[in-house]
Amino acid sequence: MKNLKNCLVLSLCTLALVACNKNDEGSVANNLELQFQNTFKEQTIVLGDANAGSATKNTSANGQVHHFSELKYVLSNIRLVKADGMEVPYHINDLDKGATVIDQAKPASLFYVLSNVPAAAYKQLKFGLGVKTDLNTLDQLRFPTFYNTAGANDTKMMWEWGTGYRFTKIEGFYDTDNKPLSIHTGSTVAGPEGNYTQGVDAYREITLDLTTPAQVGARAPRITIKADFDKLLSGKTNTITLSTGSTSNDNATPNIHTAVQMLKFVDNLGGNGVNDLSGIFSVSKVDN
Amino acid sequence: MKSSLKNSVGIMAFIFLLCGCEKQEDDEGFRFENLELAFEQPTDFPALNNAFYANKPTQYGVVLGERLFNEPKFSGDNTISCASCHNPSRAFADDKAKAIGIGNRVGLRNTPPIQNMAFMQFYNWDGNILELEKQPLVPIITHEEMASSILEVIGKLEQVPTYRELFRKAFGDNEITPERIYRSLAQYEYTLISANSKYDRVKRREGEQFTEAEAEGYRIFQQKCASCHATELFSDQSFRNVGFPVNSDTQEAGRARVTGLAADYMRFRVPSLRNIAYTAPYGSFGQFATLRDVLDYFDKGVLDAENLDPLLKANGNRIPLSEKEKSAILVFLETLSDEQFIGK
Repeated sequence: MKNLKNCLVLSLCTLALVACNKNDEGSVANNLELQFQNTFKEQTIVLGDANAGSATKNTSANGQVHHFSELKYVLSNIRLVKADGMEVPYHINDLDKGATVIDQAKPASLFYVLSNVPAAAYKQLKFGLGVKTDLNTLDQLRFPTFYNTAGANDTKMMWEWGTGYRFTKIEGFYDTDNKPLSIHTGSTVAGPEGNYTQGVDAYREITLDLTTPAQVGARAPRITIKADFDKLLSGKTNTITLSTGSTSNDNATPNIHTAVQMLKFVDNLGGNGVNDLSGIFSVSKVDN
Repeated sequence: MKSSLKNSVGIMAFIFLLCGCEKQEDDEGFRFENLELAFEQPTDFPALNNAFYANKPTQYGVVLGERLFNEPKFSGDNTISCASCHNPSRAFADDKAKAIGIGNRVGLRNTPPIQNMAFMQFYNWDGNILELEKQPLVPIITHEEMASSILEVIGKLEQVPTYRELFRKAFGDNEITPERIYRSLAQYEYTLISANSKYDRVKRREGEQFTEAEAEGYRIFQQKCASCHATELFSDQSFRNVGFPVNSDTQEAGRARVTGLAADYMRFRVPSLRNIAYTAPYGSFGQFATLRDVLDYFDKGVLDAENLDPLLKANGNRIPLSEKEKSAILVFLETLSDEQFIGK
């Protein structure tokens, strides 16, 4: 008897779902494209090796010249906010469908197309820089596509000992003598084991107001997002001076893995989560 | 009589338990029956890690785990198994300063022994892993270790009919999954308990006595070493900076790499001293060739650091030891060798 009742409830739910789907067919879902421009202030970054004249040079607030040879970061947990405040998640629990690696060396990766986005006017874009802790487990079985993209030899966005993804990977050179800089960020959270959790969470939530609402429906809008890497060293939270060496205060090469130094870069890149929710990111325009 | 009975129970720390086993039959008439192994906590050992209770060793889980532990297919080029670095005759450590992976790639740190894992709350030099089941993936994917991936490993195991059978016996059907690999490896490792050294037999009053030299060494050890090398594991499982020579690899930051706390910079987990005679060289990257080198270093004075362990700071950054005291400590440390565990 109870089973029959359960069946009935289930059938009703299914019917309701079907009905909803039907309603949705009336309006048109469409694509929404995110375009990323990685810059130093207003200048688009050109990568280059130590002595590459073509590489875009930047000078930090503390007067350190620097440029990059490699620039990558992970986006996930993308959500669009409608005019009425309702959040529309985009495959937020599926790294294969809803996460990507932005790689300055691969122009195609700078465009990320969200497909089948419900028709609406969106006023805000939210995404994660990095991967939230519950999905950050290098689960190849569950998300083989993202695992392979992140782990590819030319990508190296895996952090093996932390069994998580690298969230940002920047290689480059600084000061007039072109000392190497290598800035990697990622989480080291483990647990809870019993009541104990350890590690640092380098995942950051970004919230960006759109300059004009993105109208998804008949057309597929494009949102252009600027990621200003000038703020890596000269950020809203920290003003950083790079130094090379092997003490706990040195930060230019991946003894950055002292998560102590790493978090200063994380807060500049992705905001400190308190009074800065955008870090290096801003919306430069919306094309409807 | 009583003590020999106790001894044999100790030896058979794991025996078959007839209740609490899983039984079911599939349509091919395969009867799934995998007995949970009984477990006896060695005298005065610390509490079990919680993860143990969620993955208690079973008869076939351990058989599978041991087979996997010795399986070179885990490495990208099929040359290295867990046992390559975790060599049973060296208390599941090895004789290299730093771990050597496929193609002679050199790792960051000294291979830690695998023993008494069920009683540890933190794994590895920096304690980055809290549950044993979370550990196997790390060496599998690390470039300097096995340089493979879990799906690559599973693909290779699926080609071996024996594994199908072993997984079926351990888990009820022949599917090979990442989770099952991690769990069976951990089950096997949980059974690697070393608690039958001379020290243990003396402690348990099983008829053996320390020699005069060993007793003297134990006395000095308790004065000079046991603040950190505490409990029956001979580690209090804390993280400390004891001012050892520093690994110049820029990846190294000790415990700070995990916690992000400046105070944890170059702090490492106090290593257990059980079977220490088998695990040379010593230190997080094998800085010391012998145990005497370690004692000489402590006696001479360690590197200063802001977060140097308070016990060392209070002692002028050293542990003063006479040559006679060092020799006595070394004699005592030999009593922590568990020949049965090593398989001699």
